Amino acid sequence: MQLFIGGTCAGKRDAVTQRFDAPHWHSAHAGCRLEAWRSRGAARCLVLEGWECWIAEQLADEPNDDRLRRAMMRELDALHAWEAEWGGEAVLILLEMGRGIVPIGRENRRLRDLNGWLAQDAAARCERVWYVWNGLVKELSR
Amino acid sequence: MIAFISGGARSGKSTHAEALARRWQAERGGARYYLATARSGGDGEWQARIGRHRQARGEGWITLEEPVGLIAALERVEPGSTLLLDCLTLWASQLLYSSELAEAQGIAMLERLLSEARRRDVALVIVSNDVNEGMPPEDAEVWRYLAFLQRVHCLVAQEADEVIQVMAGLPLVWKRRDGEPS
Repeated sequence: MQLFIGGTCAGKRDAVTQRFDAPHWHSAHAGCRLEAWRSRGAARCLVLEGWECWIAEQLADEPNDDRLRRAMMRELDALHAWEAEWGGEAVLILLEMGRGIVPIGRENRRLRDLNGWLAQDAAARCERVWYVWNGLVKELSR
Repeated sequence: MIAFISGGARSGKSTHAEALARRWQAERGGARYYLATARSGGDGEWQARIGRHRQARGEGWITLEEPVGLIAALERVEPGSTLLLDCLTLWASQLLYSSELAEAQGIAMLERLLSEARRRDVALVIVSNDVNEGMPPEDAEVWRYLAFLQRVHCLVAQEADEVIQVMAGLPLVWKRRDGEPS
């Protein structure tokens, strides 16, 4: 599993496109629901993007942050299991959104927190983590 | 040669860029220009900010002011000079909101600045401010600005020989010119 993280319009999608051959895109921006990736079956490379949308969709239904964080962790673990079962690679694209002013709205604060935790939880499970900044890409080391 | 220096507010990017411009001028000779995209008018706070930057830069700079027209500014600089452009965030907002130019014309202007600087042997140090790592904007107009600024940043970072992200006054090196001291 690999993680690409960077700010808004940092060039994350291009960075992934340049590194992986014909990946399957599972994108919230294209209307895909998070859990729908499970019906994918075999794929050499499965890119999942729009995690901030998937978190935002669940905020109203799950008022408890810890439970929501764990639900996202289970998704990451399921992706790991999918890799082992099918021999594919999951590539996660995450938006860095934690470097601005604390948002005024409670839902946005929750979104920002959960997105940050997801990034930590994802990085802990990924073999390689890449930071995308102004179109350039740097691998982060532990 | 072209350098791109970016980072957060008060990260020390201008100081880093000024030191680099001084070093390049010392190596190459020629004059040292400071191209301010900020107009020197404005309110007291604005003038104080400009004064602080000016004082920190010290002696030896020829200051040009140009809110949008980068090529016109470059044409005032003789070949062999070093030119520090500070900063792209302001240039981008002035291009979008107080000029008649479209985004594509802005990108074309910037491409021309980079190629003309190389052709005229002007060493170019470009400063900008990273504003894309907070919450994504909810306002459509802010989105347009951010998307444009990021296109600008990606273009300059791609073309530059040296690319530095400054954090707490320290450089994080993305690209380094051969032979440059680390």
